[in-house]
Amino acid sequence: MSAPAARHEAAESAPALARRSRRGLDPTLLLIAPAALCVLGLFVYPFVYGLALSFQPYGDNEANGPLGSYLAFFGDPRERLSIWNTLRLAVPATFIDVAVALPLAYRLRRPVPGQRALGALFVIPMTLGTVLIAEGMLQFFGPAGWVNKSLLAVGLVHEPVRFLHNYLGTLISLLISDFPAVFLLLLGYAAGIDPALDKAARVLGASWWQRTRRVTLPMMAPGIAVAAALSFVATFSVFPSAVLVGNPAGETRVIAFAAWQAAYERFDYSEGSAIAIVMGVIELGLVAAALSLRAGGYRRMRTEGAR
Amino acid sequence: MSASKLRTLRVRDLSKHFADTAAVRHFDLEVTGGEFISLLGPSGCGKTTTLNCVAGLLDPDEGAVEIDGRDITRDPPERRGFGMVFQNYALFPHLSISRNVGFGLEVRGVSRRESERRVSRALDLVQLGGLGSRYPAQLSGGQQQRVALARAIVTEPPLILMDEPLSNLDAKLRLEMRLEIRRLHQSLGLTTLYVTHDQEEALSLADRVVLMRDGVIEQSGTPEELYAQPRSLYVANFLGYRNLVPVTVGEVRGDAVSVAANGSRFTGTRRGALAEGSSAVATIRPKDVQVLAPGSPGSIAASVELAEFIGDGFELSADAGSGQRFIARTPDRWSAGDRVSLRLPPERLLVFPVEGR
Repeated sequence: MSAPAARHEAAESAPALARRSRRGLDPTLLLIAPAALCVLGLFVYPFVYGLALSFQPYGDNEANGPLGSYLAFFGDPRERLSIWNTLRLAVPATFIDVAVALPLAYRLRRPVPGQRALGALFVIPMTLGTVLIAEGMLQFFGPAGWVNKSLLAVGLVHEPVRFLHNYLGTLISLLISDFPAVFLLLLGYAAGIDPALDKAARVLGASWWQRTRRVTLPMMAPGIAVAAALSFVATFSVFPSAVLVGNPAGETRVIAFAAWQAAYERFDYSEGSAIAIVMGVIELGLVAAALSLRAGGYRRMRTEGAR
Repeated sequence: MSASKLRTLRVRDLSKHFADTAAVRHFDLEVTGGEFISLLGPSGCGKTTTLNCVAGLLDPDEGAVEIDGRDITRDPPERRGFGMVFQNYALFPHLSISRNVGFGLEVRGVSRRESERRVSRALDLVQLGGLGSRYPAQLSGGQQQRVALARAIVTEPPLILMDEPLSNLDAKLRLEMRLEIRRLHQSLGLTTLYVTHDQEEALSLADRVVLMRDGVIEQSGTPEELYAQPRSLYVANFLGYRNLVPVTVGEVRGDAVSVAANGSRFTGTRRGALAEGSSAVATIRPKDVQVLAPGSPGSIAASVELAEFIGDGFELSADAGSGQRFIARTPDRWSAGDRVSLRLPPERLLVFPVEGR
């Protein structure tokens, strides 16, 4: 008696559910409305507006059709060079950050004495912002700053090293400001790795290098990919430090600076938007590459295992 | 049965401290090849610390670990060549089952063909043949446990260390894997050091049980010895003597001792030095308490508080007055509120002096 009744109920309830969802939305879904409005108003609209603007060339570029702004950017060797200038900063900065943060994060994944102090030390640069870091660097790395004074005192150099207003200054600033995020992300990943895995590998006879190569690095790979992608995006959009401690007229004329010059020095909003879109596309491309590399790595491991 | 690859393992006067607490103190053990030794004790008794010192995952503060007379105390774990099964299995999630099992062979530089042959043989041994291309996350807990076993035995280690390997499995699977572990131990001629907090597991698996307490060995011997002749109240309590009765010692005659509690007098078997008039504790297993009809001579009157059905009978909790409770197992049906008589056979009632520590 009860079984057919249950079946009847089930038959009844499926269309009933469908009817309800056809009739209207679940009212709780309205709770996402404020967030959705924020995203629409503060991200989607400006983005679409900028995208549209980039296809409406201005002034001399108008003659070249809707792609005029893009053609102007790519047609000018000096403007094109800004992409290279940015990559030249973003790629090494990302590489160095990950290379330094990875062993440190793995080392600190278990509680060690002084870990809190160390953690705080790493997080402080995050809270300062690039402008404050640049201010500090101007003093610290200046010709009469502590760094040069120390180097001179120990006799490593005979005249002050130029750390500021060049490529090196911007790179140092990027390393300081982006390291914390990379470190914390990798720390989260490393802490999530079961410590018994390393012990198991040891007992099974794996040397330090074999454990690193066969266990630790593969386990960390997804974290490394994400951290590198985020660090790359952050450093690729570098702007304040390129201006404050770099040489924006030359070697650190980065793509964000090129966009700013177009929009606010030449008042060509269209080309400024076009450059910003180019910047976004490059970032997306590299992030996609990093993430697919990670997926590919995993797939390779699986197929190897299946052999 | 193949011969063990180990002649003797000696753990000599091993001590290990963490900060200010001594986890293991003056631990001595000699294991002969082919033996199955179980380190038994509650959590925090130092059994896992001892195992990790033998594995090389921890450095002992004092003492030595010797294999066939060779001191390996300072050898890192990767040079000891032991097999180990961890509580959570510690399978490599990014490697297939075959590569998990073959890990120890791979890092030793065993050729691919040889490695494949041995991996598939090990997987057959644990009845997982054909699952080699799967990943750990795709297996059930019991299957993962078998993979961990296969990984530990594939390198044919002289010694297998197991750290509570069955504690993450459900009761039915635990029994099944227990048999499996014993079967592998025998058929491969392994030497096994097995850590557990489960007395049933230790007694059923091991040739010799080492019961630990607060970092020292409380008693070691065959399961039969520990079961029948617990050396201390602690051992007795750990091995299922759940009824504890504070008593006053009466007349002592050889091994027989008469004791008094709450006005009733009964006779027990002496364990340790007992002086007349001193306090002692009498203890007996639930299954040794005889439940009789009320008013039986030479017994304690009690009333049943709880009666739990346990399959082949009932487990009763009975109140003997003055807050003294007895747990008894009986094939007969009794219900809460029934008046009963409890008889405590003298040869099964052990009387221990009150412990000084």
